[in-house]
This record gives sequence, C-alpha cells and structure tokens, in this order.
Amino acid sequence: MSTHTANTDGTNHDAHDHGHHHETFISKYVFSMDHKMIAKQFLITGIIMGVIGMMMSLIFRLQLAYPDMKFPFLESVIGQWGKDGKLDPNFYLALITIHGTIMVFYVLTAGLSGTFSNLLIPLQVGARDMASPFMNMLSYWFFFLSSIVLLSSLFVDGGPASAGWTVYPPLSALPKAIPGSGTGMTLWLVAIILFIASALLGGINYITTVLNMRTKGMKMTRMPLTIWAFFITAVLGLLSFPVLLGAGLLLIFDRSFGTSFYLNEIVAELAGGIERVGGSPVLYQHLFWFLGHPEVYIILLPALGITSEVIATNSRKPIFGYRAMIGSILAIAFLSFIVWGHHMFITGMNPFLGSVFMLGTLIIAVPSAVKTFNYLATLWKGNLHLTPAMMFAIGLVSFFISGGLTGIYLGNAALDINLHDTYFVVAHFHLVMGSAAIFGMLSGIYHWFPRMFGRMMNNTLGYIHFWLTLISAYCVFFPMHFMGLAGVPRRYYANTAYDQFNVFVDMNQFVTIAAIIGGAAQLLFLINFFGSIFKGKRAPQNPWNSNTLEWTAPVKHIHGNWPGDIPYVYRWPYDYSKPGSELDFIPQNIPDADQTDPLDEPKPVHFDLKNTTMPLVENKEA
Amino acid sequence: MKIVTSVLKSLVLVTALFSFSITAAFAQSAEEGEKLYNANCTSCHAINEKVVGPALKNVHTKRKEAWLLKWIKNSQALIKSGDADAVAIYKENNESVMTSFENLSDNQIKSIIAFIKKESEAPLQASVVPTGTSSSNTTTTDSISAEVSGTLKTSINWLVIIIMLLLIMVIVLVLDILAKVGEIQGKPVINWNGINAKLMLAFGSIGILASAWEIWEHGKLTVFNQTPASTHGAEYDNMFMITLIITGIVFFITQGLLFWYAYKYKHSSKRRALFYPDNHKIELIWTVIPAIVLTILVVRGLKTWTEMTGEKDPKSRIVEVYGYQFAWNARYAGDDNILGKHDFRQIGVMNALGVDTNDLKAQDDIVTNELHLGVGEPVLLKFRAKDVIHSAYLPHFRVQMNVVPGLPTQFGFTPSLTTAEMRQKLNNPKFDYVILCNKICGGAHYRMKMKVVVHTKEEFKQWLAQQPRLVNKSTPNAQATAQVETSTKTKVAN
Repeated sequence: MSTHTANTDGTNHDAHDHGHHHETFISKYVFSMDHKMIAKQFLITGIIMGVIGMMMSLIFRLQLAYPDMKFPFLESVIGQWGKDGKLDPNFYLALITIHGTIMVFYVLTAGLSGTFSNLLIPLQVGARDMASPFMNMLSYWFFFLSSIVLLSSLFVDGGPASAGWTVYPPLSALPKAIPGSGTGMTLWLVAIILFIASALLGGINYITTVLNMRTKGMKMTRMPLTIWAFFITAVLGLLSFPVLLGAGLLLIFDRSFGTSFYLNEIVAELAGGIERVGGSPVLYQHLFWFLGHPEVYIILLPALGITSEVIATNSRKPIFGYRAMIGSILAIAFLSFIVWGHHMFITGMNPFLGSVFMLGTLIIAVPSAVKTFNYLATLWKGNLHLTPAMMFAIGLVSFFISGGLTGIYLGNAALDINLHDTYFVVAHFHLVMGSAAIFGMLSGIYHWFPRMFGRMMNNTLGYIHFWLTLISAYCVFFPMHFMGLAGVPRRYYANTAYDQFNVFVDMNQFVTIAAIIGGAAQLLFLINFFGSIFKGKRAPQNPWNSNTLEWTAPVKHIHGNWPGDIPYVYRWPYDYSKPGSELDFIPQNIPDADQTDPLDEPKPVHFDLKNTTMPLVENKEA
Repeated sequence: MKIVTSVLKSLVLVTALFSFSITAAFAQSAEEGEKLYNANCTSCHAINEKVVGPALKNVHTKRKEAWLLKWIKNSQALIKSGDADAVAIYKENNESVMTSFENLSDNQIKSIIAFIKKESEAPLQASVVPTGTSSSNTTTTDSISAEVSGTLKTSINWLVIIIMLLLIMVIVLVLDILAKVGEIQGKPVINWNGINAKLMLAFGSIGILASAWEIWEHGKLTVFNQTPASTHGAEYDNMFMITLIITGIVFFITQGLLFWYAYKYKHSSKRRALFYPDNHKIELIWTVIPAIVLTILVVRGLKTWTEMTGEKDPKSRIVEVYGYQFAWNARYAGDDNILGKHDFRQIGVMNALGVDTNDLKAQDDIVTNELHLGVGEPVLLKFRAKDVIHSAYLPHFRVQMNVVPGLPTQFGFTPSLTTAEMRQKLNNPKFDYVILCNKICGGAHYRMKMKVVVHTKEEFKQWLAQQPRLVNKSTPNAQATAQVETSTKTKVAN
C-alpha cells in the first residue's frame, strides 16, 4: 500500500503538457495513445468482428435447419462455396471454425476485455493513463493486424482454416488433409500469434497500471470489482497465452518444416513426403487447453466484473460480500489453471488423471455458486433501476446459472463420455461463455456509453433489444441440450444420414428462426449505438449516480482524465443507500466528516435488517 | 472379401464402350459393385445429388473407363500428371482430395461402375438418402408428401419471420413516437420501470414453465429415455439422473428468485434500498452447502468413472476399430483373440489396414465393414486411426473414445440388448445401432458411420464363422468357431 503517492505529482505534470499539445487527426483517432480512444478502437473493431461472426452463424444455421433446400443468394454472397445455393460441406467447417475463432478471441477477449480494461482501469483507479500508452497503442494495432490477417484467410485458395476453432492436429497439421488446412490454416496461425502479441502487450499494461498507478487512498480493498476482474483476467492471460504461442509455433514447424511434435505414424504420402513418427497429437491438446480453459475465464471474469458494478449501482445497494466476491474471483482464477484436462476426458488419458481433473473442475462450482448467491443477495431489497445495462446484467446472471449448471454434467468425467462433443456442449458454452459474456459486454456498453461518447443511448431501443436478445438466445440454445442428450454430434453439416435424428428437424428450424430474430435484434443495437454517438442526448457527468471515480472526470475527454489534481479516494466504491447519508450514493472521492487522511477507513455504520422502513430522503434524480 | 481402404470420392464415370455387353456377368458384377459402393463410396457420394463429392449419375458416359480406373486408384497422381479433366474436377470441387483406392482391383472398380450405370438408368425413385424434411416422429414418410409439407412449412416459417420483423419495426416506431410525446408533455407516457418489471416476472414464470415442459417433452427424444444398450449404461443413467435432479432444483430456485427479485424490488421513489453489505454467517452457509452437494456428486461420479474405465474383463473379445477419412472398419482378433501386428507403412500396400499377414497371429483376424457383437459378451474395442483424429461414439451404449493416429486407445463394455430387442423397445423396425464419428475430420465427417449389430450369442457365433479370415487357409466352419472358445478359455487359464 505504499506506492500510490509517488505518481500523483509526476502525472500531473504530464497532464499539463498533454492539455496543450496540438493533435492531428492521425494522432488523435488513428495512432492514439490515449486509453479512452484505444478503448473505443477495440470496441468498434470488436463490434465489426462480432457482426461478421454472427452473419457466419446465420449462414450455417440455415444449412442446419434446411439441409435439403437451396438458397440461391448464397452463391452471390460466398461464390464458389455456395454453388447452386448449396453450402459446400468443407466451407461449412470453415464457417464454424472462423465463427468460433472470431467470437472467442476477437469479440469476447479483445472486444470485451480490451475495451473495458482500457477504458476503466485508469479512470477507476485514478490514473492519468496506462503505465505505457505506447505499448497500449501497439496492443490495438497488433489486434487490428491480426483481424485483417484472419479475415484475409477467407479469400485464399482452399478457404480459411476448417479444423474447428481448436485446430487439433493432425487435421490442422497435414496441409492435404482438408482444403482448409492449406494456406488458410497458416494464416490462422499467423493471426493467432499476432493476437497473442496484442493480448500480452495489453495484459502487462493492465497489471502494471493496477499495481502501481492507483491514486492515493485506492487500496486494493477499495478497488471496484470491475478492476479486480480486469486485473485477474490480465494475470490469467499473461500466464496462459504464451503457452498457446508455443503450441502454435510447434504446429507451424510440423506444417512447414517437417517436424513431428504432434504427429505419429503418419505415412509420407499424407505428410508432404516425410514420414512422421514419435510425436503426440494429444500433446497439442494439452498445450491448447492450458490456455483454452483459462481463456474461458479471460472471457467471463470481465463480464462478471461489469455485472457486479452495474448491479450494485442500479440496485442502489452495496454489492453483497465484497471480499467474498474478490475471493471467488481469485479461487476461480487459480482453479482455471488446473482443470484443462476436462476437455480431454475421452482422449484415452489415464483414468486416474481424469479423476483429478474432474475433482478440480467440480470445485469451481463452489466459488461460482457464491458469486451467483451474492448477486441474488445484492438484488434482494434493492431499489432496482431497470436500465438497459441493469437488465443485461440480470440476463447475464440468468445465463450464468443455466450454463453453469450444465457444466456440472460435463465436468463429471463419467457423464462426459456420452456428452462430449455433442450439442449439449454447444448449448453449455454458448450459454455460459457466449451469451453470458455478450450480455456482460452489452451491459458494459449501455452503462459506460455516456462515459465513452459523452452522450446517452436510447433507452427504448435498449429495452426492446434486451428482450428480443434474451428470448431469442434462450430459444436458440436451450433446445440444443436435448439434441445433445439424444447424441447429435456438433460440427455436423447435416443430420440427414441418421434416421434417429430426424425427430430434430423441427427443432433445428425453430432454432434457426430464433437465431435470425436474435440477429435482427442486434440491428436495433447497432442503430442505437452508432446513432447515439452522433445524435444521442448529451450525457450529464454522472448519469447513474455512481460512486466510482470515472464519473468524477469531466464529460469531455481530455488527456490525463482530470483537469486538476487526481481525486483522492476515501472509501470503498459501494456506499449506496448508506444510513445517515442524505443521498443514496457517496462517491469514492468524498471524505467522511472527520476523515482527513485518505488511508483511514470511514466510520463503520451500524445497520440492521429492521432499519429498512425508516423514512427516507429522496435523491434529486428520482 | 477384400477390404477397401478408403472412401471413393470421386467423379466416377464410364465409357460408352462399356455399355455394349449387358450380360449375366454384368448383372452379377453390378451386385458385387453395390456392396463395394456402399462400403467405400457413400460417405462422399450419392448417385443423384452432390454430397461432398459430385453426383455419380451417368459418370460412365462422361468419362472413359481407363481414366476412371486411374482416377479412383489415385486421383492426385492423375492431377499431377496434368490431365485437364482431372485438374478441372479437382478445382470444381474446391480442391478436396479424393481418397486413393489403390487396393481395389480393376475388376472391383469395374463392378462399381456397373452398379452406378444400373442405378443411373433406373427410373428416379425415392432416393436412398432420408429426406430431412419429414416432420413427425416417424422415420418413414412418403418422400413426395414430405417434400410438399416441407416446402409449405418452410414458406410459413419465412412468413412468420417477415411478419415478426415488421412487427418489431412497428413497435419501435410507436414507442419512439410515444417517447417524443412524453418529452413534449414533460411526463413519460410509458412507465418503463413497471413494464420491464412485469416483463421480468412474466419471462421468469413462462421461462420456468417452458423449460419444465421442454425437459418433460423433449426429454423423451433423448437416449436417456431409452434403456441403455450396455451393462454399465444403467450406472451411467443413474449418475445422470442424480445430476439432473440436483441441478434442476438449483436451476428452478435460483432463476425463480432472480426474476422474482427483478420484479419485486423495482424502483420506487417511496422506498430506499437496504444497506446490507455483508453477513459472514450467510456466506459461510452458501459456501458450505454447495461444497457438500458437490462432494456427493464428485464421489458418485468417481465411482461411475472408475467403473466405466477400470480393469476390463480379461475374457473380453478383442476387436479393433479402425477409422479413416471417412469410414470405419472393424478387425476381429480371430480364434486366438490376439490382434496381429500392423504397420502404418503397410496401410494400403499389404492390405487396407496395414496388417502384417506374415504374422501368424494376424492370419485368423477378420476384417469387416460392420461391427457385430454378441449380447452379454464383454468386448474390448481397441481404436486405431490412419490419418487424423476421429472419435468413435456409440450413444446407445454410453460409449465414446477418441481414435488418435499413433496413440492406441480402448474402451471395454458389454452389450445388453440385441438390435432386435432394441427395435422392439423403440417400436421402430428400422432402428440400427451406429458408431458415429464425433471429432471433426473433414468434409464428409457428418456421414462417417458404421452400422453396429448386436446378436444373440448363437447368432453372433454363426455370423463370425461365416466371415473370411485375413489369410484364407480353409473355409471357415463351425469347427473354427469352436476353436475360438477353446483358445479364449486357454488364454484365460494362462
């Protein structure tokens, strides 16, 4: 707790310099080093990638619902891959692969964590900018380059990578195994390596900023839960992404330089003229999932952090069990590193090893349950402002419950035997990781839009967007559980070769229609988002009467965030509806009457449950 | 019977010359061709429609026989030689590589072509491929009526989508106008706080009812509504039901509370939220209770897991399941119940599976295109892959194991219901057990399957005795079957 005082003076000086600095279009909007601008760049790139990823899903959903129908428009959209209006089976695999890659890495990792870590870390801990603005800028541009490389792979001979987003060798290692394992696969690997560079540059920055640049009084135990989530996320990324980098490099060697890290007993004819022996395809899976599992929490924790903040603010209540929330984040983060094997129960691993992974996996349910109950306890006896952000946060909790519970099936090695790689898995991760994280991201966008763009989004559109998205997401993913329980495998181009799956024809059509409606609902969001940037109502400084520091900075963005001194912090961020206070919120920078040193704790209040009916003072906003 | 290495992916085709001699011999060869065609070609091809590879109808008139032979045996070599037709076909099919069939003899390929010719000339009938549009639970619907109802249904679906989209637009416009009216009047026309709160309640209750209904209704379509076809399946289903009940209770309670609170505690200016940041006792309770429940699930799960993956019955019959793009083969260990050696370098050279026929233990091995098992007979499946990772998934037996090139895996179980019994239980005379491929492996992944037949013990013995050994020393007979038993017994005794 001794580091906070050092930065205040130095960065003040910086801010002064920057304030008078003349900026060109390029330095302001393109190669910007301002964390707020970089956050917007991440967000808008993320949204564009998200739209592309979703369009892909609609194309393959059409195929799944109407395997015998021809859609002549496909040929004009995807050319040779949709000859005569029929989607090519190889391109179907390409679509699911790129859909997964885009959603997992480009939208829910970079788009979510990149946006909100960048925007909120300096603003909420009270720093002028990131520890290294230059590295921060590089982080975005590596991400941008990576997106371009990935998208360009859609246009190469043989199509983009088609081995599933996990790109297991030998399918991905043998360029002749499928059309998508040629140039497209190489570009995929290059894109991921660039992406890892971006994630690491960003992660180091987030960690350093949180540890070293907090303002005076911002103890670790006074940080908003968003910051805790971003901080732990960055640590997870820093520890796990390099392993994926290693895995990717070895795969490149196997593909291009004749090595056999992941290959065994492959004849020369299949492997570019060199016989491959001695490696292990399962080694790749271990390396991949050593990233892959923490990656799930890299996606989910920021969404949970955002939810904690949004739910507390809009319930006008302190988050219940602040320390337990931090504890559960830490527990989830730690456990996420020792459970990767649950993705590999049926690779033939030693059954004892399977037991160990199963034990670790099911333990994760405990901190997750604590988080859920704490959210419920926060809502209990709150005074809920049902803003779009709040509703999306509630939606997240709902998905987190639904998807989390099916994790108990899949984490159980025995049950996994019959559920592995079926639609049950698709349903599970689209609820808990896909929908939940997207809802966290949307919640964050609605909540911090005024902070980002100085204008308000349209609430009415927001409500309709929420309801359509919530209902369609459940209609898309909930029925999939039952297909999975009937043994329908994922990644099938059609189920027509199996009589036993004919009963799901109707269900597949229902799911596709729900997906199309859900997709259309996102148009409302896009209209609202881009429309409000230019035409939204001007935002007040603190539209949600929130306690955290970002709302003490002026609406207009300036370099260095605060015009004068950085505010000191006197309390934790959750003093909502505190007894004895006239307003129902007390921002972190407001000292108690007799509190002179920010490091002192404010006087604890005595509260009891019978207190609730005391006559209350209205706040101005209500 | 000869086994064939890979799938016929191709553009088969035939020569006009070929059609000269329609003789008895031809009929016979078409019949053999049909078998070979079903075993090797159907993963990627159909007669009348493009699947992964092009439709094969009339290929015999489109290409010369000599060309077809070359193409089927090794299409890549033909492409490299610069043959214009070959290159064009390769490009046209997005450069998917057709599996080479060098182990098919010229005569065998000719008989396949004969079969295609026969099929091409046959009047177009209900195709072999099941129509995906039949809407009821019955698997057999007249294909024409299915098609009609399919189109009808589809256009209604599209109409519904368009109407819904229009409806959404209208609602958005109306709400927008109302919001503007509210602004002018200085008082919002719509009380969104109340509406959203009520919608939360409605969504919560309808959602809970709908999911209960779906678990009930669609639960019937799952394999858990069917008796498992293996002995460990009962234990598995038991574990599943325990998990379903526990998670179900938690699901309904937490979702119920979530949406109830969202409704109950909606904003009111007459009320102030309760400042209630912490309660260690409550938190301890809701940490410890989930921990206890999970302990129960873990302990029960470990028991099931150990039972399913633990030591196998040493008397188990050993069968190798061999996967490749895009089909399966089964290899029975034969009378000695020991699989002969194999070498991946010999795949397609010595024989399709690369089994070393000089190895004495290999000579009695039996290779088939279907997996036949005896009810009540423990079997140990040993998995081997040629090219990429596949996964052998037998949902009715609660069995799945990855099939990894260069990494032997295995799964042992005991079938407990014959195909006939299962058909009766499901009231579906066409039902068949199946091995599906459940690890993405390429364009025809979704068609990569092998039929599984469970016989009574006697039927199985008979079936096995009829299968040719890898090295055909004598005609298989009942004596050979007897040998299986003795040698198995000896092995156990040892």
